[in-house]
Amino acid sequence: MVFYADFCLPFIAGAAVMFAAVVIKYTVWLVQLPAADKRLILKGLPTRRTLDAVVETVRESLLHRRIFRVNPVLGYMHMSLAFGWFLLIVTGWIETMAYVGLHWVPLQGHVFFKYFMPANGIADHKPWFDFVMDLLLLFVLSGVALAWFKRMRSRALGMRRTTRHIIFDRVALTSLWFVFPARLAAESITCALWGGGSFLTAGTGSLLSGVFGRAALEAAYQPVWWFYSCALGVFFAAMPFSRYMHIFTEVPLIFLRAYRVRPESAAKSYDNFEIQACSRCGICIDPCQLQSSLGIDEVQSVYFLRDRRYRMLQHKVADNCLMCGRCEQVCPVGINLNTLRLNARSSSRDRCDESRYAYLSGIDRSSGEGRTGYFAGCMTRLTPRTMESMARIFDAAGEQVWWADREGGVCCGRPLKLSGEVEAARRMVESNSELFRRHGITTLVTSCPICLREFRETYRLDGVEILHHSEYILRLIRAGRLHLRRDAGALYTYHDPCELGRGCGIYDEPRAVIESVGRLVEPAHTRENALCCGSSLANTVIDDPCQLTIARDVARELEATAAGSVVTACPQCKKALSRGTTCQVADLSEIVAASL
Amino acid sequence: MRHVIVIGGGVAGLQCATQLARTGVRVTLLEKEPRAGGKLLGWNSLFPSITPAAEVIGPLVEEAERSANIDLRTGCEVRSVGTGEVTLADGERIACDATVIATGFTIFDATVKEEYGYGLYDNVVTSVDLERMFGEGSVLLRDGSAPRRIAILHCVGSRDEKVCQRHCSKVCCVTGVKQAIELKRLYPSAEIYNFYMDLRMFGPGYEEMYREAQQQYNINFVRGRISEVSPTFEGRLQIKAEDTLTGRPLKMGVDMLVLMVGMKANAMNAVLAAEVEGLQMQPSGFMQPRDPFTGNVCSRSEGIFYAGAVTAPKNVCESLGEGMAAANSVVRWLDEQATRQNRTEEAR
Repeated sequence: MVFYADFCLPFIAGAAVMFAAVVIKYTVWLVQLPAADKRLILKGLPTRRTLDAVVETVRESLLHRRIFRVNPVLGYMHMSLAFGWFLLIVTGWIETMAYVGLHWVPLQGHVFFKYFMPANGIADHKPWFDFVMDLLLLFVLSGVALAWFKRMRSRALGMRRTTRHIIFDRVALTSLWFVFPARLAAESITCALWGGGSFLTAGTGSLLSGVFGRAALEAAYQPVWWFYSCALGVFFAAMPFSRYMHIFTEVPLIFLRAYRVRPESAAKSYDNFEIQACSRCGICIDPCQLQSSLGIDEVQSVYFLRDRRYRMLQHKVADNCLMCGRCEQVCPVGINLNTLRLNARSSSRDRCDESRYAYLSGIDRSSGEGRTGYFAGCMTRLTPRTMESMARIFDAAGEQVWWADREGGVCCGRPLKLSGEVEAARRMVESNSELFRRHGITTLVTSCPICLREFRETYRLDGVEILHHSEYILRLIRAGRLHLRRDAGALYTYHDPCELGRGCGIYDEPRAVIESVGRLVEPAHTRENALCCGSSLANTVIDDPCQLTIARDVARELEATAAGSVVTACPQCKKALSRGTTCQVADLSEIVAASL
Repeated sequence: MRHVIVIGGGVAGLQCATQLARTGVRVTLLEKEPRAGGKLLGWNSLFPSITPAAEVIGPLVEEAERSANIDLRTGCEVRSVGTGEVTLADGERIACDATVIATGFTIFDATVKEEYGYGLYDNVVTSVDLERMFGEGSVLLRDGSAPRRIAILHCVGSRDEKVCQRHCSKVCCVTGVKQAIELKRLYPSAEIYNFYMDLRMFGPGYEEMYREAQQQYNINFVRGRISEVSPTFEGRLQIKAEDTLTGRPLKMGVDMLVLMVGMKANAMNAVLAAEVEGLQMQPSGFMQPRDPFTGNVCSRSEGIFYAGAVTAPKNVCESLGEGMAAANSVVRWLDEQATRQNRTEEAR
């Protein structure tokens, strides 16, 4: 049996391009990985993590569990295409083996098996395979139908907006749309002429021959197989250069993650795995407030990754992001969108002017004595009510406090880092770390989640416990060191700051503190899904009126709770929200100090 | 008799109402506060001549109260404005031939700029508070002592994108100079610093007053905004600023900080623009006159006119002038309406 026909050429060529491109890409990326990452991989390989990665690959790359969680219809669409196609390949392989035994069969032999071995040509026909293959084809076709429908009416699948694509994507997408209908046509016609097939292919085949007659089908027989092969060939050739690269890339990504390889504040070749694992599903577009409040729709993570991948990233896209993490929260591939955005900014800007930071050497304006340090941060200094309230709370608890920056101090470094100046930020980090060490504190309290996140993620403060003031105050209450009057009539609503909630995972502590002075009512978007106040330091593009528009949208939701005042736990959020509402906006510490 | 409703009993509304009354128009003057007189009631003296505000507003209020043609209704809030009709907060509807909106402005709430510590630290006051203190005859610190060093900060709630107030409030520059001179007259040995971005001395006598403040009164002017204020252990205030002329950061301990609060558009303007056909609001929140040159007291809605700071920050002279201009425009419009009506009747 010779498994070759001329029509197979487009398919063979396409598949060759695809495999070559994928192998080259992965080899280059892996070779370029930093030595530390390579060690992580080698260490992780012989452990249980490899097994976990296999399990996750099945769950995510085939079954698309996470998309199911975000949107079941979209989940089904992705699963039917990925898992359905995978099963078609596997079952096809088994079918081939069942007929020809354990002989080597070239790739096109498996793919175009129906052409090479139609039912009439086989002595021992196995209708069971025909049924299963038809069933799987129907499964995949249902996904294709949904994909067509989604292109036309994205809203119907629960997405307000869908992604706009580049040319490679369009070529790949169009050919993919035709692959399975072409397969159905080719196999149906073959079944009509040569028998075999089950409910789908045989049924369609007899329908076609009834309508067009056997002669017409005989004339269409070769062209339709050519068409199917071309569709496959074009798709495979375009795939490594289009968004469909994600189909393969998700797999190595899952393994690399299992070995604890992560993106960092400086770009590295690993980022390519994350970037090319993006399927451009566009799930990140809807939660973006720049889109929903301001109608800005060319900067979302999907477009950022696309532009970065094709080396056409512009500052106005990289910088126009609140880094609130709402997209990261829903990304089905779990791409570290904020870190990737951050290191794209830093690779274009990170040049530190030494002379500017000479003033940092030996700077110390701290006051007071104590094992507990308090760091207000720049933003808290602009919302002095918070600092006053903290002073009263420390007093009431009888805490001896070392004030790091009551008389002025050095920035934590995060604003510089967020704008891409990582090297300059490092100067701040070193200066402050030295200051903290010199004063021998054991606990560092800050009322600013921006500082908190920088302290926890970047600072190396061994032996110092870093606490947000919400955590610290709750501890004081639980230890009986603070006695608060609870006013059951006072109704508060709480705005989760991005850096505190999604950034540091602190959701419960501020809520518990609020409950100890009054009653809490939640707004519509809360905790992991909370909205961003809009004045994020990470966005250096939008202007104040735009920030205000977002703040008003957020404030409207908070006002809808009918709470008497809005409580937040971030000085930046407080400033932002008070511009957007006539309602009273207070920091957590203020309502605590008022209940002493 | 023709009937016009004037909304707002401040300097512009009073000027417009009395002028209309003099020409024989019946006026209903609506004022939401218990007394007519507007913001000038709480103001001690006016730049550049340091004339007592009472000398300007007193005769106007008196005439409005005395005039037989004016029905002055205080404590009376307006709910909505319609064509030929105004509805009050209590639901009462008053019919009229024309309406003049002279509702003025709102004083910027300085607590929004939390970094300046208004309402948080003792001895941070606004220009409005200081004017009241002048009126009461004494300017003292919270502990009863006299201030020795005072900082005056310009542009609080003006030309500040952070609080969404992009516009210039126009009068605060010269008010700061005036108040500095008055403080110096009160405390000749006190040091007074004005922190400014620009000083816009646009009116007659203003530039002269600014020069006098420097040469005769030895008042200091520092170009740069104050970035933050914090209390010191001795109970003073420490201010941080940048002297943008020398390009150096600056720290200073002061006894008192005066915030030159700007003019904010009334929240009601948005309601008017949304509800009344033809009324429009500028991006600053102030109402949009029909034309900035020849129709600055007219709206795009027939029979509705503007006077004073409802359309933009204005000083007292300008508001008085607009009160007059609005009265004139109303009368001319009413005359035109009458002529048109007569012609239609004759044609029948």
